[in-house]
Amino acid sequence: MNLTQRIILYALVLISGIAWIILSADFSKNTPAAQTSAPQAGFSAPDFTLKTPAGESYTLSELKGKAVLVNLWATWCPPCRAEMPAIQEIYDEYKAQGFIVLAINMTAQDNPLEIAPFLNKYNLNFPVLLDETGETGKAYQLRSLPSSFFIDRAGIISEVVIGGPMAEALLRTRVEEILK
Amino acid sequence: MLALFHNFFAPPRHIVLLILAIWIGLLVAEKRAERHALSKDDLNNLVFYSLLSYILGGRIFYVLENFSAFSKSPLSVFSINLNLFDLSGALITAALALLIFIQRKKLFLWSTLDALMPFFALLIIGIELSHLAAGTAFGTPSDLPWAVELWNARRHPLQLYNLSASLLIFGWLWFKKQNQPSGILFLNLSAVTAAYLLFISAFQADQNVILNGVKSNQIIALIALIISFILFEIRLRPTKA
Repeated sequence: MNLTQRIILYALVLISGIAWIILSADFSKNTPAAQTSAPQAGFSAPDFTLKTPAGESYTLSELKGKAVLVNLWATWCPPCRAEMPAIQEIYDEYKAQGFIVLAINMTAQDNPLEIAPFLNKYNLNFPVLLDETGETGKAYQLRSLPSSFFIDRAGIISEVVIGGPMAEALLRTRVEEILK
Repeated sequence: MLALFHNFFAPPRHIVLLILAIWIGLLVAEKRAERHALSKDDLNNLVFYSLLSYILGGRIFYVLENFSAFSKSPLSVFSINLNLFDLSGALITAALALLIFIQRKKLFLWSTLDALMPFFALLIIGIELSHLAAGTAFGTPSDLPWAVELWNARRHPLQLYNLSASLLIFGWLWFKKQNQPSGILFLNLSAVTAAYLLFISAFQADQNVILNGVKSNQIIALIALIISFILFEIRLRPTKA
């Protein structure tokens, strides 16, 4: 291929590319993902209503306006145990700014008798909820523990962190992000 | 089959696919490295230092960007969390490490990049596989017969499109006759990949938009394509006698 042929080819490819970018742009400002519920960044967080061991009920959709960390955990899971003190510290630091932690125990896969001693041992005072049927774990497509979902004030998942333990700096940067 | 793959390599295990791609990429690149005047040792060292710089650079840039968060918990610097990572910082550091290595070893940049072509091509395949496993880089909703159910909607199977394309590109470049100036093999990979991404990114749902609706990945691909074309001409320019 000589120089002229190559320049014609480059021009054709680039003109088609620019035309395609304009044609495929979405100027409607729609964010359809945000209207769909799915356990993935950019989507509306799947709703749930769960109770604490004391019987107090929490519904995620009623917390709109707050920045929420949904943390799925179990007492037998070592990284879940390891990240709890950092979560507690961040909760204490940011709760006055509208941050809340919903720590959902996967009760269907856990020993319910070990939950209260666990909460006492780690001195946790954020809401700990019980997923006794496994429905919430299923809605959040739980494949690995711990799994954490950072949800902004509009109820949209900002980031998903699978596995752990989460470092304190990670928690701090993500919480500051969802509080904006 | 796909469900089994999803379960087996669900995050955080999807990282295994990337590590596998790096390993296989290196093995395959070794087979042809000497054709491009690069010894196996130099190839292995080059990849090792670049990867190390990628990992360290990604973390260092992230720490610098979020210094106040780390100053309150300095031990977080050593955390195993993959999320504490700055991708652009990592790429810049890895590219710098690659260039420094090439300069210190007095290697020829373009033939080294040609030698690395199979590594890069297989790494792209690994990235697409890890997206498939994690459900990231997913497609826009679609009612086409081959649409797949993902994140509570039927969508373009974007990860499968990307995986098929990256396999085809690797196959084409692997079997392509290599009788052109050095650098052309690598530039073929970058140009074809950029052109393909420019087209397919129109169907990617999870990406940033700029200028009120233009997809950012398409702009990045367009810039990569323009740079590739300019470099093609530089490499194909006849040398003065």
